[in-house]
Amino acid sequence: MDVLNGLLHGFAVAMTPMNLVMCLVGTLLGTVIGVLPGLGPAATIAMLLPLTLKLDPTGAMIMLAGIYYGAKYGGSTTSILLNVPGESASIVTCLDGYQLARKGRAGAALGMSAIASFVAGTFGVVALMLVAPPLAQLSLAFSAPEYFGLMALGLAMVVLLAGESLTKALLAMFVGLWIATIGTDLFTSTSRFTFGQVSLLGGIEFVTVAIGVFAVGEVMANMEPTKAPDVLPVPKGLRNLLPTWDDIKRCRFAFLNGSIVGFIIGVLPGAGGTISSFVSYGIEKAVSKHPEKFGTGVIEGVAAPEGANNADTAGALVPLLTLGIPGGSSTAILLAALILWGFKPGPLFIQESPELFWGLVASMYIGNVALLLLNIPLVPVFARLLKMPGYAMYPMVLGVAIVGVYSDANSLFDLGLLAGFGLLGYAMRKFDYPSAPLVLGLVLGDAMEKALRQALMMSQGDIAVLARPIPTVLLSIAALLLVVPLFKKFNAVRMQMIDPEV
Amino acid sequence: MLAPRILKSFAACALALAAVGAHAQAAWKPTKPVDLIVHTGPGGGSDLLARAIVSMLEKEKLLPVRMQVQNRTGGNGAVAAAAIAERKDDPHTIGLMTSVWIANSLTSDEAAVTVHDLKPIARLMEEPAVFAVRADSPYKTMKDFIEAARARPGQLKQSGGSVTSRDNIIRQTLQHATGVKWAFVSFQGGGERLAALLGGHVDMMVIEPQEAGEHVRAGKLRVLAQIARKPLPGYAGVPTLKEAGYDVTPTPQIRAVVAPPGMPAAAAAYWQDLFAKLHQTDSWRKYIADNQLEEDFGDGASLAKSIAQIEKEMREQYTLAGTKVVR
Repeated sequence: MDVLNGLLHGFAVAMTPMNLVMCLVGTLLGTVIGVLPGLGPAATIAMLLPLTLKLDPTGAMIMLAGIYYGAKYGGSTTSILLNVPGESASIVTCLDGYQLARKGRAGAALGMSAIASFVAGTFGVVALMLVAPPLAQLSLAFSAPEYFGLMALGLAMVVLLAGESLTKALLAMFVGLWIATIGTDLFTSTSRFTFGQVSLLGGIEFVTVAIGVFAVGEVMANMEPTKAPDVLPVPKGLRNLLPTWDDIKRCRFAFLNGSIVGFIIGVLPGAGGTISSFVSYGIEKAVSKHPEKFGTGVIEGVAAPEGANNADTAGALVPLLTLGIPGGSSTAILLAALILWGFKPGPLFIQESPELFWGLVASMYIGNVALLLLNIPLVPVFARLLKMPGYAMYPMVLGVAIVGVYSDANSLFDLGLLAGFGLLGYAMRKFDYPSAPLVLGLVLGDAMEKALRQALMMSQGDIAVLARPIPTVLLSIAALLLVVPLFKKFNAVRMQMIDPEV
Repeated sequence: MLAPRILKSFAACALALAAVGAHAQAAWKPTKPVDLIVHTGPGGGSDLLARAIVSMLEKEKLLPVRMQVQNRTGGNGAVAAAAIAERKDDPHTIGLMTSVWIANSLTSDEAAVTVHDLKPIARLMEEPAVFAVRADSPYKTMKDFIEAARARPGQLKQSGGSVTSRDNIIRQTLQHATGVKWAFVSFQGGGERLAALLGGHVDMMVIEPQEAGEHVRAGKLRVLAQIARKPLPGYAGVPTLKEAGYDVTPTPQIRAVVAPPGMPAAAAAYWQDLFAKLHQTDSWRKYIADNQLEEDFGDGASLAKSIAQIEKEMREQYTLAGTKVVR
């Protein structure tokens, strides 16, 4: 009953006109910065922080949180339309989202992304409300060995992202792992593969790589003179632009998968939205009846990661609000904001500031509904953008890519990198190397290396530390994923030998 | 909204120029938005302090123009220092440094621009710290921890940042003074470090007093000792390292303002004066108290002395610990 009382009280707080306006402003702003690649929620929240000191803290928190989860709604838009990931958590959405757009189903993908975001986002709020404190305690059992298991499992998903050739996929993945090592090493403070370049000391942002390989590479491939400049098909009529009932039925499992995986990984302070989107995509493909169609434009391939990266935001608020532990940069700024406003975030926070906690929870229910209502009407608007002919479309993609990469750190060096990775992406297309494993290796490599080294530092170099229960299970699944394709191949050869006609 | 403000400051500037004529350079004032360069991304320690400074300057109406935070991340401050040095002579750029910048120029080959290349403006504060263990830990005093580490060399673990971070410098100082050894596990973010301690994966952490305070209040952490010049108000009864029986003075963690090389003297004087005014405001006092920091304002000359002293101490500690010193 405590929960019910709290929630009723929370709605009373969130429904005041001022707080409703804050919620709408936050979610709208979130959608906009989500759509724009480059400018992420962390930078936006940081910029608005000084402004919020003049506001009522509850309203300000409702607004800043709105930006945080609203950005995940908008993040898929450019992934689907232009193959330019708007946020790092929307990189996987490019895989099937952009292919759907090429088939003329951009509207369905955009719509499904909004619906999945709504379902998983709401699931996340329910979970935040019901199980936050015990779950936060459980998450503390997760440390370096467990993170290593999780990252290794994520990396084993390369098997699922591979196209024709597993060898090529593995090669691409290893290049990604290598790129992840560039920069200053956390443990020794020495620099690796920086070739004396100060600009490389901070490492290479994976959004730069993803935009280069996906978007710039794609544009270059489409510029080849042998290909007729194509205008993407956009169906007529509003009804044909939105997802069908059949689409929604096909995504039932994806909703569940995205919600649960996103929330659980979100709660872990060392993981994050990007990893949860990759893992949920991998699971979706692994359990699918038609895994071979993934990457060619299946709607579940959009619903699962887009759901996951929304449930993830609610998950990330769990350690923040119950323990005062931020999992990422956005939550670190929210933590600082709470201190600036005079709150004491920590284990006693919910107990001592129920108004803010329940007001925030209630506002997130409202915010998710507002985001759905805001995003669905935008679907036809965005989908019709694709009617543009190639000579207008491709320069626009390049423009968005350049602005996105540049605005991240105002660095011309990054634009050079973008061009380099664009060329790499083009070459990979030409030689039939899948680009998703490269980005996967890059996203997971850094976290995986850190987790392994931390685990070994904790155990004085004893590898047995990885034999704790959770890492054992995760590593076993990873090993299974890697081995299964070999058996399949073996089986196919065996069948051929038994029955030459197969 | 912005345009009239800029026009106004232009007008003010023109008036000032006309009025003082030949002495124009004595009264320099910023005439366009100012960049405040930090070395962490949004949400990092320096970034958050920078955002707080921006809002305090705004609230106290001390700065006639806008100040925007620029994140130049990477290389433990090397990228930010280089970005500041690139704006040579620019009076509209300042940066926020920490002791890490000094450590980094000692240990990194690539850090071509060091703190010595930048113009010191003002020292803002010193950051105290506390030694924390889990509330159910067998170590009730600093001595318990040190003796346990002596009994099991290398087995106890401390979570912290990189090897050049302040946490590790404190560890090395103490290890050297006591002759015992324990392990240091690096984590990228403060959240991960604290989670590792709360989850019992490491035994001890050197942590900011504000952050530890809430967990002490909730009965999750216990504080063994404090590192501060004056006893921290929130930690009455907690011994300093000296009181705990360890006569060491760990190198202080300072936060300070620096400027591009060649910034005109009038502009440097303006910025030094601005931060001197800021540190006397109520907003600043409240910020220092809320975050349990230590007020330690000093002008440019005093900052230059601090930097030289910190560098000397760090050089000694790195040499003792066997870390390669490149400069």
